[in-house]
Amino acid sequence: MTGTIEATGMHALTGPFHEALRRGELVVQHCKACDRNIMYPRHLCPFCYADDLDFVAAPTTGVLHSFAVHRVGSPTGFEDDLPYAVGVVQLPGDVQLLARLWPDADGGWDAYTCDAEIVFRPADAAETERRPVAWFGLPD
Amino acid sequence: MNDEPVFIGSGELPSGRYPNRPFMGDLVRVAVAAVADAGLTMPDIDTILLIPCLHSPADQADLVFSRVVEELGLAGRAKSSYMVHSGGSTSDNTIRDAAGLITSGHARNVLVLQAEKWGSAPVKDMIDMLTANGIPREWEKASGLSFNAVGALITRRYMHASGSTPADMASVCVALRQWASHNPNAMYRDKELTVEQVLASKMITDPIRALECPMLADGACALVLTSEGNARRLGRERWVRIAGSGGCVSHYSIGQERDLAVLGWANAAVEAYETAGWGPEDADLAEIYDSYAAVLTSGLEGLGLAPKGEAARMFAAGEFSPGGRFPVNTNGGLLSAGHTGVGGGTALLTEGVRQLLGRAGRDRQVEGAARAVCGGSGGTYMDAQVLLLEGVSA
Repeated sequence: MTGTIEATGMHALTGPFHEALRRGELVVQHCKACDRNIMYPRHLCPFCYADDLDFVAAPTTGVLHSFAVHRVGSPTGFEDDLPYAVGVVQLPGDVQLLARLWPDADGGWDAYTCDAEIVFRPADAAETERRPVAWFGLPD
Repeated sequence: MNDEPVFIGSGELPSGRYPNRPFMGDLVRVAVAAVADAGLTMPDIDTILLIPCLHSPADQADLVFSRVVEELGLAGRAKSSYMVHSGGSTSDNTIRDAAGLITSGHARNVLVLQAEKWGSAPVKDMIDMLTANGIPREWEKASGLSFNAVGALITRRYMHASGSTPADMASVCVALRQWASHNPNAMYRDKELTVEQVLASKMITDPIRALECPMLADGACALVLTSEGNARRLGRERWVRIAGSGGCVSHYSIGQERDLAVLGWANAAVEAYETAGWGPEDADLAEIYDSYAAVLTSGLEGLGLAPKGEAARMFAAGEFSPGGRFPVNTNGGLLSAGHTGVGGGTALLTEGVRQLLGRAGRDRQVEGAARAVCGGSGGTYMDAQVLLLEGVSA
């Protein structure tokens, strides 16, 4: 089922973000009028209410504000992903987003800590097509 | 001030799993109990404010479209009946609404009503419903974020910022269980809990374990408000006034919260204490939203009832338990009285009013309780809503 009322017109906001993820890139919205970055993307700039908005490449290194590891129980459709981790990533330029976190070298998430640096590491195109979400991992 | 809005009565049904208690039946039963507790009769009620249920869109629609008015025999008499909704902070916003209706002269006696059937609903459906609401479809749903993970994100940040240990966090749940043992309406009124049990329970959404997750429950609460002048005319001996009010909506998406260990509490507190003319050091008890331990500890700290970073350790030291220095969530909170959806906040507020009216029962009545700090939070802890309440004797 496509074209539900909820989805109508949202592509202008979601499309560029999702298309960038499929290319392996991370973008955030940018207001040309007040020169501020915006996340999540909005219909009008939430700072100056201009509609002169586009998308720009985002910094790919950020700070992990917090994270959670789903071990038992998930929303329907994510059962096969268990265990999996989500985290709140704060990027330079005063924007932040919820992301998935790759497992560490031991296959878990024990190497992650709050306030540590993490790096954008996109999933492959097939996974991003299925689930348009930004993935982050530990620095090399 | 003669038209100052005041609470004069409350009602509550036991929380837990009661599949044979119908939703509308719970609403009318708790309504009748609260109206009697207020010393009124049903025709005295001219305005009904409904706190939403989350178990069924059809039942919620019944709240919106005045079914309760018919059920209570108030058709043709009621002036207004409507639902207010901001998730877990609804009761705080509803009380402000009731207060405004009374001072504006629209309402004389307001009945605030809540019932929920979460305990009897299919758990998987309810979890999916929570995942679909308050979590942005376009930006966060694809990550697989669950509601327990929202609590886990807050918990991990709080533990990191405060240095609280898993045992400290578990002790919050244990203290609430001790309070629940004194509340005959609590879901876990007769089931003891230890820190060891919590720490031995299965890791669900790291760092949250099974016994740190709120249990979905059925429940019902009601509150009656009128003007102070009317309370005097009715010969009431004691009522509860709203001394202060403050709020802060800090985010919609959990991924947009700037500080998950802080949330909106401190911002909300400033205005609330300013309007009340008293501070946290003057409070006799607190009833603060606690669907996860860290929501409560951040609330206590933001509201000035614990030094920053110390609340969980203070729970571990027994300071907020029965017999401790300062009573917190004396009904057992959402974590032990039961998570009745939007009603979890209503149950805490009802307990605060009951304490200040001096009617919390022999086992858990806080002696001389005169001032209560009440706090609610909705959605993904999007807001911090604070009401400062005072008991007044005629």
